[in-house]
Amino acid sequence: MLATLLPDASLANAADAPVDQPARPTEPPRTISAVVIEGGALRARRVFDPPEAGIAAFLDGTQQSRTVYCTEDGVPIVHGTVAAVVRERRNSRLYTWRHSVAHRLYAPRSRISSSLWQRLGETGIEVRDTTEGGEEHAAGGHPFALREAAVHGVQEDRERAESELAVEWCEREDRPLLVDGSMSGTDRVAAAPGVVGVIKSHHTLYAEGEALSRVLGLRRGERSSVFRITSQKRTTVASWYLRVRDRRGIDPMWGLVRLEVSHPERVDEHEIGARADLVSRWVLAETSPIALPDPRWDTLVYGVRDCEEFLRAIV
Amino acid sequence: MSTNETNVPGALGRVVATERKPNTPHEFHFWTALDSPVGIGTIVRVDGDQAVNGQLPRIYGIVVEGFSYTDLQTPLHDVLGHDGTPAGASLAATKRAEIRLYSAAVLRQVPEEPLQPVPMGEVFLADDQDVAIALRMDGYLREDARTGIPVGVYRAGGTDAPIYLDADFLLGPEAAHLNITGVSGLATKTSAIEWILSSIFAHFPAQKGSVAAVCFNVKGPDLCFLDKPGDIDAADRALYDKCGVPARPFENVQYFAPFKPDGFSLNTLRSNEELLENVSSLTWGLREVLQYAEVLLNKDDVDAKADALIDFIRERVVDREFQDAMLGNRRYFVKSFADLEDWFRDVLSALEGKNSEGWRTHHIATIRKVRNRLSNISTRCAGLVTDSGSVSDLPFGSFEDRTVYVIDVASLEEAAQDLIFARVVTKLREHLEKRDLGVNHVVVFVDELNKYAPSDGQDTYVRKMLLDLAERGRYLGLVLFSAQQFRSQVHRRVVGNSGTALYGRMDADELATPGYSVLSPAVKTKLATLEKGQLMVRHPHFTQPIFVRFPRPAVMRGRDGAERYPQAADVDLESAVLRSLRTLDPSLTLGWVRDAIGIRDDDEVIRARNAVLRERPADVRKAFTSHLRPVVAAEAAPRPLAPPLRTAPSDDPYGF
Repeated sequence: MLATLLPDASLANAADAPVDQPARPTEPPRTISAVVIEGGALRARRVFDPPEAGIAAFLDGTQQSRTVYCTEDGVPIVHGTVAAVVRERRNSRLYTWRHSVAHRLYAPRSRISSSLWQRLGETGIEVRDTTEGGEEHAAGGHPFALREAAVHGVQEDRERAESELAVEWCEREDRPLLVDGSMSGTDRVAAAPGVVGVIKSHHTLYAEGEALSRVLGLRRGERSSVFRITSQKRTTVASWYLRVRDRRGIDPMWGLVRLEVSHPERVDEHEIGARADLVSRWVLAETSPIALPDPRWDTLVYGVRDCEEFLRAIV
Repeated sequence: MSTNETNVPGALGRVVATERKPNTPHEFHFWTALDSPVGIGTIVRVDGDQAVNGQLPRIYGIVVEGFSYTDLQTPLHDVLGHDGTPAGASLAATKRAEIRLYSAAVLRQVPEEPLQPVPMGEVFLADDQDVAIALRMDGYLREDARTGIPVGVYRAGGTDAPIYLDADFLLGPEAAHLNITGVSGLATKTSAIEWILSSIFAHFPAQKGSVAAVCFNVKGPDLCFLDKPGDIDAADRALYDKCGVPARPFENVQYFAPFKPDGFSLNTLRSNEELLENVSSLTWGLREVLQYAEVLLNKDDVDAKADALIDFIRERVVDREFQDAMLGNRRYFVKSFADLEDWFRDVLSALEGKNSEGWRTHHIATIRKVRNRLSNISTRCAGLVTDSGSVSDLPFGSFEDRTVYVIDVASLEEAAQDLIFARVVTKLREHLEKRDLGVNHVVVFVDELNKYAPSDGQDTYVRKMLLDLAERGRYLGLVLFSAQQFRSQVHRRVVGNSGTALYGRMDADELATPGYSVLSPAVKTKLATLEKGQLMVRHPHFTQPIFVRFPRPAVMRGRDGAERYPQAADVDLESAVLRSLRTLDPSLTLGWVRDAIGIRDDDEVIRARNAVLRERPADVRKAFTSHLRPVVAAEAAPRPLAPPLRTAPSDDPYGF
């Protein structure tokens, strides 16, 4: 369709790899001290009660982007697809509760001709201007920077799609929802008592010094004290670390996840501890079945993998 | 339309195809929900959504294979996931994503041309009308030309569809014959035949004429109570209703059985006095047997020379006047084995008297050999073959429509069984060729076919006859219904000519033979585990085998009948005569029979009894006594007068 609309320009090779390979952190790994809200200092706490299947549904999203067209002066037109799904557990099996898929074209409006912009609009696919954030100006219009801006736009759309589904769940359901990744991006979701965010990557560790040693030394079935995560751009949430699999002397991050739940308006030390224990038991219950052959199987819960498989099938 | 527009059933699956597992014109794959009612043998319909030549394609298929798997890449992952503890698996909060993937063989594509690979589309459970179209039954279930014979009910996911065989392909002339195979003891083979005969009698179209069945009861009391009601339950009645077959025993059944060697007790398990009304004896004489001498005489017995002598006897001696100078021009009328024995004795005596080695080109050794073998027949087949030549036979020429003729050969020697089978089938064929049997079609049921037409072993007369019947019978209306435990052990031309094949539960070893290689492993597994009352059906109109259920026959099972109607104990001649004549005249008494028989010898009494049974006269007493030779009252012989003794002269000096 694009070839028909844009006969005067060479199409990018369709066999090119997607441009949205997992974004590498641009900042160096870091440790941040967080305010512990359960007890005086961060320490390891044993989750005594057995795992319990308390999660009712899982949410995850995916994105794909591909440069489908380049102008003569190297401006990329990126086609992006974002999708998100909530998979609900009924009678031990996962079924789609709701899902969304959206296709968009991403282009810097200020760097292409108005006729091309118009023709992109005639494709019937929503077109998004990647210059709105003004990020490409900093790179001086480098094609890579323009492409990066497009990918960033796709990523934002994916997060928005996930948030929308999460909000819809929160509006309709009281049952617990496990979200892959942080839940602090949307106020409504971050404040929902039934939402649990599971963070598998630890580019930023919310512990320093002795506290960090305790976090990395957690054994299977142990969690850290609950601490508060506050950010200017994000909603404050309560969080803690949980070791879901025995690391057995290998990578200290192996089997380590960080959980997020809504931050209570008034912190009651015992109450937040009890909640952390309960949510930890829910997440420990999700370690079976194992998420192999996914390489992140040590921290990836099966329900999220199921969401990924679903999204892979439909995108 | 197969899909009711007011109540459209939902799709139960979707067609899938991959490069590794593509769909073809004869096979396709689809997945279903885990709780779908699809199983091996289920008939499904695919609705294509891309019109071909302006018509949306519809494909009908039958499930022949099923697959199930999860997203596990290797079993080891599951072991790791549960730390090697199987019990831990049950604690998992979520069950793995799982698929039910099925392969289906195409039964029919509509439109039939162009024949294309099965398209992607939704898969639906076939309803009654879909089943009829899929199996091409719509061609012979038209109101104006209906030739369907119900064979059972196809049942899957709430669909209960009667499955019909085409009478033109079951009883001829297009194709014919039916063969059923299955392990013993699961009430499949005999029950299925009884059910199908009921179905034929109920549904055989009037425009195709009349039909009767001749069944050889080869073991136990299997077929001995076809006219007595059996126990059937509500489920069976529902099947009868669905198929439109009355759930009642056969109305017209005639039983035939030879006598025991004593010559007057019927050699059958149906000898109870209450059941004798429709039981007739089966006895043959020399003329009937000699025609089938080769059935009883094997190749070692009958070489070319012996064969020539038998031909000579058959053509020149039996049933005609025979004279020969060597025999002193005595006139012979050979009609029985006893007459033949007299004839042989005279021939051999004459040869020995003349010290001659041959007579009419026949060597004396050959004559002795043939005499020995033929005379032996009446001994080997005692009870069936009579020395006297009296004949009691099936009613060839007056067969009746919808009647079962059962010949009980279960207790006979193998040679006698062969003789009966050969002669009866030959007579049926002769009469059907002449169109004077009384009916247009005859179903001949033979069990234990692997014994009569084995795939290996020497070529016997019976096997040759079965081959001929299988290959040419359909043109005459002579149809073979056969059964055996191991199809692979039956001559392939016999089973190969059976247009319809039924399979009950099969033995795994049998399923491993090459004849079953066309079946998928799943279908073989289903065959090996079939329940009672289930059959797999192959029929010329069906491109794939179909699984059906059939009801228990509404006739008394042999075992039940044998308990309820125990076999009559052996009795003396007078009681045996009374028992058989009472079927014609219940007022007869043992005293009357004893008086009538008097001092006559057994052969004469039996001959008279057989004649009465054959003639079925109105006045049994009169007929019976008329067949007995009158007995002349004993009179004292007049004493001849003795001549008076001469007295010696008184003057005779030498007198005493």
